[in-house]
Amino acid sequence: MKIVTANRLSDGRVIYAGVDNQPVDRIDQASVLDDPAAEIVLAEVAGRPEVFVNPYLVEVQDRTPSGRDRLKERIRSAGPTVGHSVDLDVNGGLA
Amino acid sequence: MYRYDEFDHAVVRERVEEFADQVARRASGALTEDEFKPLRLMNGVYLQLHAYMLRVAIPYGTFNSRQMRRLAHIARTYDKGYGHFTTRTNIQYNWPALTDLPAILSDLAEVEMHAIQTSGNCIRNVTTDVFAGAAEDEIEDPRPWCEIIRQWSTIHPEFSFLPRKFKIAVIGAEKDRAAIRTHDVGLQIVKGDDGGTAFRVFVGGGQGRLPHIGQEIASAVPAADLLAYLTAILRAWNLLGRRDNIHKARIKILVASLGIDAFREEVDRHYATLRREDLRIPEDEAERIKAYFAPPPFEDLPKVSAPFDRALLADPDFARFARNNVRRHRQAGYASVVVSLKPVGGVPGDITADQMEAVADLAERYSFDELRAAYEQNLVLPHVRLDDVPAVWRALRQAGLATANADLATDVIACPGLDYCSLANARSIPVAQALSKRLADLDYQEKLGPVRINMSGCINACGHHHVGHIGVLGVDRKGEEYYQITVGGSPDEQAALGDIVGKSLPSEEVAPAIQRTLDRYLQIRAEGERFIDTVRRVGPEPFRDAIYETLDAANA
Amino acid sequence: MLQTLEGIQNGLRLSVTTPLEEVEAAAAAEDVLVLEFDAFRDGRGFSLAAVLRERGYRGQLIAAGKVLPDQARHLRRSGFDAVELAPGADRAAWARMDQAFSAAYQPAVDPDPSIWRRRRAAANDRDLDALADRLNRETAGKGAAEIVKAALDPALGLKVGAISSFGAESAVLLDVVAREKADVPVVFLETGQHFLQTLSYRTQLTRALGLTDVRLVTPDAEEKATLDARDDLWKTDADACCDLRKVRPLARATAGFDALITGRKRYQASTRADLRPFEVLDGVLRINPLAEWTGDDVEAWLDARDLPRHPLVEQGYRSIGCWPCTRAVDDGEDARAGRWSGMDKVECGIHLGKRKAA
Repeated sequence: MKIVTANRLSDGRVIYAGVDNQPVDRIDQASVLDDPAAEIVLAEVAGRPEVFVNPYLVEVQDRTPSGRDRLKERIRSAGPTVGHSVDLDVNGGLA
Repeated sequence: MYRYDEFDHAVVRERVEEFADQVARRASGALTEDEFKPLRLMNGVYLQLHAYMLRVAIPYGTFNSRQMRRLAHIARTYDKGYGHFTTRTNIQYNWPALTDLPAILSDLAEVEMHAIQTSGNCIRNVTTDVFAGAAEDEIEDPRPWCEIIRQWSTIHPEFSFLPRKFKIAVIGAEKDRAAIRTHDVGLQIVKGDDGGTAFRVFVGGGQGRLPHIGQEIASAVPAADLLAYLTAILRAWNLLGRRDNIHKARIKILVASLGIDAFREEVDRHYATLRREDLRIPEDEAERIKAYFAPPPFEDLPKVSAPFDRALLADPDFARFARNNVRRHRQAGYASVVVSLKPVGGVPGDITADQMEAVADLAERYSFDELRAAYEQNLVLPHVRLDDVPAVWRALRQAGLATANADLATDVIACPGLDYCSLANARSIPVAQALSKRLADLDYQEKLGPVRINMSGCINACGHHHVGHIGVLGVDRKGEEYYQITVGGSPDEQAALGDIVGKSLPSEEVAPAIQRTLDRYLQIRAEGERFIDTVRRVGPEPFRDAIYETLDAANA
Repeated sequence: MLQTLEGIQNGLRLSVTTPLEEVEAAAAAEDVLVLEFDAFRDGRGFSLAAVLRERGYRGQLIAAGKVLPDQARHLRRSGFDAVELAPGADRAAWARMDQAFSAAYQPAVDPDPSIWRRRRAAANDRDLDALADRLNRETAGKGAAEIVKAALDPALGLKVGAISSFGAESAVLLDVVAREKADVPVVFLETGQHFLQTLSYRTQLTRALGLTDVRLVTPDAEEKATLDARDDLWKTDADACCDLRKVRPLARATAGFDALITGRKRYQASTRADLRPFEVLDGVLRINPLAEWTGDDVEAWLDARDLPRHPLVEQGYRSIGCWPCTRAVDDGEDARAGRWSGMDKVECGIHLGKRKAA
């Protein structure tokens, strides 16, 4: 399954396409799509460059990135794994 | 240090307005992301994994307390309370919003700072020797020439859309503390035949996927003709450099493919027809700029300092700091103090807003209001009276900035890696942290002596792993992080690229393998030999054995 | 301004990917050359235009293809006359971006003066009176060090020197100057008639303060041979002697300076009662950091900084010039009462502006 992700134009933060293709901040709010549906959503958000910057598809299993770029996508969803980001707005991090 | 006049102020102010215009056109759809990207990059604005990143220029690494305080203000107001110093002596903020950037750039402009050309395919922030103006072996302070190059290259009409980025470093001494031969152009001040200032010019150095050491293209270009000569080099490359493959676009590839002699002929052909008279640096302008870099009003002091010597005897921690982080100064009774941004287990190069202010206070009080950002991702207080070094050390300790490890094994240079960077294949920071914790014992580090360890999270080599005495490169093996180790690199006047020792290691193996490498050095070093000297003498083989011995044993 | 042209323009069209030699050969015969950018990132077009212009191409150069409004001034300054725009292009953005900067640092093909040239022009045409007024305002209430610092501010672009007699109070000024910048040129008028003590004091003080550029200025040998071959002009015409040994040599020695720091103080003489820290004399900025100091201030500074004293001070000399025209003064007398004593003369003339015709 796939989800659609991008960075938000105004602040650069990671966003996902959620319900009604609205941008959402958390990976667990992302719409999980099969391949044909994912392509359609990708095309739709690509047409909204004032919100979605450089949208692309991410392979997931149970909303967890599972493709070749899984580490990068997990860091994107959870924030940096180190140092100064620990007390910031993104909690959690990688195990 | 340099101060803006009305023209400099106008340029940075107008640049902020221009950028605000560009942001508005991006938001309105008049500019696509593809069009906007190079324009924002030329203002230091990247889009990273989690947010925008702003890279602020600290031209040739020289700045003052007011500017440092403004950097702290920006960290607090628009970011998350910290910044990150880079190997190009810039500072990066990891979390600013695009919509805040015009305001941040305005705040910077007020204190004579900017983010112009800290990224993009243009001439980047010029770097130099962190001890410029303080080093004993300098024949001339390189910073006035850096400032002249900064002005000349700023918003250059012909060289803002180059095949790729272009980096220049300048030194004023025989000893190379700015890694000039890993730059697109490296400049070394020499005395010309007429006794005047001239530049020895190296071209075609660079790291990344295809690393090269710069080659000499000219032995003594007279100072007044420097900009004309640089123009000829850039012109030759702008017209002939490859634009079909990003990995082959840097000038190093052109120089290597033509050969240095053919490239020199190409440059000479352009040099012969360009308007040299127009580009000749006006003598009064050079003098005007040099006047800003006159030595500060040093006091006439004896060579030795009783308070300093007393503190050495009284406190072994201070004595260690003095041994490792205090550098000789050309002026009797003064020293340069290295402020390490490499605490045990910390993020190399990171500094909090509070720490920035602490350092600003020290610069103002003890170092003629001058600060330096170092290639090694550290800071330097360039001109401190020996008498004051104990007080400076106490204040640094209070601020958590007195780690006595400058140039030692835990003074690791590392890029942000996959924790922040969208280009990275692997994380750098956690590996650097693990190494720092493992080698934390300062007695052990001092026994090892100077060792430079560099870490990059991908082949773009922002952590300069090719020229680390020990280099670590993150690679992606089917979605897992692995690390390739090199030994024997060096960024100085004996510049060399490290040798890859063998197959890459999983992240948890990196720190133990490096410790085995260092232990092997302790076993085989000759009297007085530094790590890099031993590698040069015996080659990488003994270190390869040390790195893989337990792994081989486990597999046997 | 870069012209914005709509629709396809006539003229030879070449891609910016064309090698320079071919572009040059083709351009030679053309009045109009259109260089097409395949991508706005491909900056070869800027170098092609600059090289063509520098090698003398005089025809019209038009940029076409993928270019952004943000490149308007890059095009113009590299030698393009115009850009060919698609219908509906945002001309307002082109005009705005073309004029986004009021000046550029580096000289280029366009005729606008670079910032470097403008700085030079500004330096040659400065309003010194206004500058003196401004500096007087800005340093009001500030100390001598601040005044010297203001004068030495590189942003002013002034060539600054100091003049000193290495006399009774000179150590204070020289100390203040040396603490700001030890290599400020210090001009000393070697009249040939100084006390020996002054000469040894000069050496001593130079060393103690770390001054690196003390310049000795002697009278012109020919003038001296004509006017005062026997070194006794002072007996008959002290003004002429000062003129020969001080005023003229100083004028020669300071020709290259825009500004001179002096140690004059109001209290020293009635002629100096209106002295301001900054004033203009004969087209040169005079800086008088000690203008408001009293004799006690001077004493206190000499003590506090433990500066070497002129050896004649303890013999009662409080203002020291050439030996024939200087005597010690009594406690109740003005400090300068010992200069040209018995003559109707208070100043040698170097601080008086151009001599009026007699």
